[in-house]
Amino acid sequence: MKNVFVLAVLFAVATASAEDMVPLKTKLPPPLFVGTPVPINVPNLEPPQHGKRPDFMVPKGTVNLALNKKVTSSDSEPIVGTLDLITDGDKDGDEGSWVELGPGKQWVQIDLGKEADIYAVIVWHYHSQARVYRDVVVQISDDPKFEKGVTTIFNNDYANELGLGAGKDLAYIETYQGKLMDAKGAKGRYVRLYSKGNTTNKLNHYIEVEVWGKPAS
Amino acid sequence: MVNSSITRREFIGATAAAGAGLMLAPGAKVFGQTKSANGKLNVALIGFGAEGRVLMESLLVIPGIQVVAIVDIWPYARTYGQRYLKAMGHEVKAYENYQDLLAGEKDLQAVVVATPDFWHAPITNACLKAGLHVYCEKMMSNTIEGARSMVQTMRQTGKLLQIGHQRRSNPRYIFALNHVIHGGKLCGRLTAVNGQWNRAVSEDLGWPKHSEMTPAQLAKYGYKDMHQFRNWRWYKGMGGGPLSDLGAHQIDVFNWWLGRPAESVMAGGGLDYYKPPQFAKRDWYDNAMVIYEYPMPLGVVRAFYQVQTTTSAGGGYYEYFMGDDGALKMSEDPRITALYREARAPSWDEWVRKNYIRAAAAPPAPADAEKVDVRETAQLAKYDMNVSFNEYIHQPHLENFFNAIRGQAKLTCPGDEAFRSEYVIHKANEAIPAQKRIAITSQEVEA
Repeated sequence: MKNVFVLAVLFAVATASAEDMVPLKTKLPPPLFVGTPVPINVPNLEPPQHGKRPDFMVPKGTVNLALNKKVTSSDSEPIVGTLDLITDGDKDGDEGSWVELGPGKQWVQIDLGKEADIYAVIVWHYHSQARVYRDVVVQISDDPKFEKGVTTIFNNDYANELGLGAGKDLAYIETYQGKLMDAKGAKGRYVRLYSKGNTTNKLNHYIEVEVWGKPAS
Repeated sequence: MVNSSITRREFIGATAAAGAGLMLAPGAKVFGQTKSANGKLNVALIGFGAEGRVLMESLLVIPGIQVVAIVDIWPYARTYGQRYLKAMGHEVKAYENYQDLLAGEKDLQAVVVATPDFWHAPITNACLKAGLHVYCEKMMSNTIEGARSMVQTMRQTGKLLQIGHQRRSNPRYIFALNHVIHGGKLCGRLTAVNGQWNRAVSEDLGWPKHSEMTPAQLAKYGYKDMHQFRNWRWYKGMGGGPLSDLGAHQIDVFNWWLGRPAESVMAGGGLDYYKPPQFAKRDWYDNAMVIYEYPMPLGVVRAFYQVQTTTSAGGGYYEYFMGDDGALKMSEDPRITALYREARAPSWDEWVRKNYIRAAAAPPAPADAEKVDVRETAQLAKYDMNVSFNEYIHQPHLENFFNAIRGQAKLTCPGDEAFRSEYVIHKANEAIPAQKRIAITSQEVEA
């Protein structure tokens, strides 16, 4: 009898939680493809995604907290574009929509303004050409210097090229759908994204970053 | 990188022996005259758009090459290129046009031209006449006359003209031609070819509004407005549409591998999808289906080619050479490439032992195997070629160009050879409105 009661409570909690969860709805840019495709040969590459990404469930009321928020970077003088493009809501892959940072290891950091519960980060590096960005690491922290209280939500730097620790996530091919990373409700005010060049060149690009969450309760 | 017994040196040898149409560099006459003061080949890139940026990636990793200048009429691209190269450790000059480049650079040996097609001929001719060797992207020109003038200037000046059909220097393609098609004759008698490049619907290209050129700047270089400047490929008088943008690479492989240009072409196509009000007005066909005929010693080979800009269906981009013993589906993308053996073919064990090919893993048996229609021919055995290549896809073609300047190689795609291919591509564009078979004589394909 006691077991039945426990199961009933668990079922009720699960049902309530499921009802509070909704699919994350982001607006996708039009696909864009320019130039000669480049064969990609990188280790640990996940199979190309066919069709639309499956629904990703987030708590009701989750919004893109990064929209129009301030962005800083390890490269304060981008080669082309400006850092504000990363959170301006424009996800087009065309000229003028992306910022290009210098060669090698670079990061960008978004200040959400206050601590938040973060459920997902979606990144569009560059989608007018099929390419893979190397050593992608995404972290969340309340420390703007990312020296303490750091939660890593994505890391495909399998060889620890960045010195942040080796990751087990897979490399992926950029598409107009962006890459969704599960943040599992991590708390933090700042989101930092690393990369170290890509399969076409040594540079680092960002079109848009969305941080889906709710202000911390 | 090439596997085991097949070395890069062998490819260079294979390239040199690839047969008719290859052109010897003028050897010592060129080498020495064209060496720069710093011992490297000083190179300028003309056109820093999407093509130019891809070529730049290769230029930056080829030893003995110094990029000293870039040229682009768009200030946005010029500034971007200069800043990009600075970030990569190269201080370069930036010029608005090729006339300024030729006036300003006195220690230049070669240029790489990656502008819109209708500027290829005037720029190439001027640079050849200025004593420079030229690597020019395909298509040579948007007109047959323009392409012919480039070959004539190449001959008059004695300078090298390489056209950017980069598959001709790709080690995988050279290996396949020399060892699979010719050496081992694994496909037997070639009977048909099928090529395609299909792309999904794509929006027109845009531009940063804060970086627009003025109407006067655009008009100076032949453009009506920014939209036409950014989307020139769709306009007659500027480019040749998808058959020339995408098909040119693959139809060139048809001619290269069959060892001759087509003798006839018929085609259908049209501008049926990209229409106002949903899309800006365009000129060129958005779809085309072409049939070429090649008279070969053992009989006619028919080659079908299609390009679609409204669907990516059909398995990507490839050139599929089919014979009575086997078929080779060739692509720049190794994942698409495959070699198939007919059941009637002589054993391929010798070529497996020689490490040229290997049997591919057998696909899983179909779950509904009992429903297989017995009237179908048995499924072909699949093999892979034992060759791999991990450099930038344009790198070997540029290296071939620079090695030819140094007198160390023959061009794999000199202007006169490229002209033969590009002529039949222009003819395919003519065949669509003509709605009839067009004969192509062996004389008219010569520049």
